[in-house]
Amino acid sequence: MKKISILFLGFTLVLASCSNRKVSRIDPSETPDISGSWNNTDSRLTAEEMIKQSLSEKWLSNHLMEKSKKPVVIVGMVTNKSHEHIEAETFMNDLERSFIMTDKVGLVQSGKKRDQMRAEKADMQTNASVSTMKKFGLEKGADYILQGSINSIVDAYKKKKTVTYQINLELTNIETNEVVWIGEKKIAKLVKN
Amino acid sequence: MKYFLLFFFTTVVFNANAQSQLVPNQNPNYIVSQHHYTRILDSLQITMNTTVQDTYKAYDWYEAKLEKKQNRINTRYQARLIRAENSNYNYNYGYNYNNNWGWGYQRFFPSIAYRTGNWWFRW
Repeated sequence: MKKISILFLGFTLVLASCSNRKVSRIDPSETPDISGSWNNTDSRLTAEEMIKQSLSEKWLSNHLMEKSKKPVVIVGMVTNKSHEHIEAETFMNDLERSFIMTDKVGLVQSGKKRDQMRAEKADMQTNASVSTMKKFGLEKGADYILQGSINSIVDAYKKKKTVTYQINLELTNIETNEVVWIGEKKIAKLVKN
Repeated sequence: MKYFLLFFFTTVVFNANAQSQLVPNQNPNYIVSQHHYTRILDSLQITMNTTVQDTYKAYDWYEAKLEKKQNRINTRYQARLIRAENSNYNYNYGYNYNNNWGWGYQRFFPSIAYRTGNWWFRW
């Protein structure tokens, strides 16, 4: 009986040692580079640079001088023309958040979220009480649209590879089509296999 | 009555003109463009607040080499599988007990005999 128990214990220990996965928590601002692909650090660096550029450049003061009120921005499309799947929403959300937090730029909803909001408003017209029902046609119109693109250049030979990402965001006056701001962030990496 | 109707139509025409009045320097043909884009509004706005993935495959010497190696392994594995599945049909045509067209071993592979035309008598 004792031998069987020892054998069973040994077997359990062997099984336990087979699973070698280990998970540890890390600071999101210090994500290490593992494969060399686009990662959290790149997204964060892009967001930081774009926030700094967009809130400190001339377009903002020009608008305030001309209209005497803060500009309203709507987020448009970002085209990823790089070699990797990159979701721009990660850094775009940081940028939008900074607009609201600093209270320097107004932001209006766009895309599917806006559709959902209008659908909810439509639903209110038949289901909500008259005093709480929200009206159509009172949305705030945006002054500028924010659009962007992500491009990349890859140069690889044998076990070495350089990757350069270029992220551009553009702010265009909706009424006049005038591009008032272009933000740029370049990220270059050297990957050795 | 006549004066009332005249006043009414004058007011309507005046209001209509006021609505379509151009702001300074506005293109008088703006309504053409407005109608055009109002018609296709939904399809153009589908990508708002999204990332359109228009990616390309970059050539990477090292990754291409690994991919080639993996393809070779996969091809060999598939060939081995096919060979294993069809091994009974591919060889052993000899006049022995285990051949594929005689009796004995063939009983595990049902087929109609060419002379008797049934499943049971093999000749």
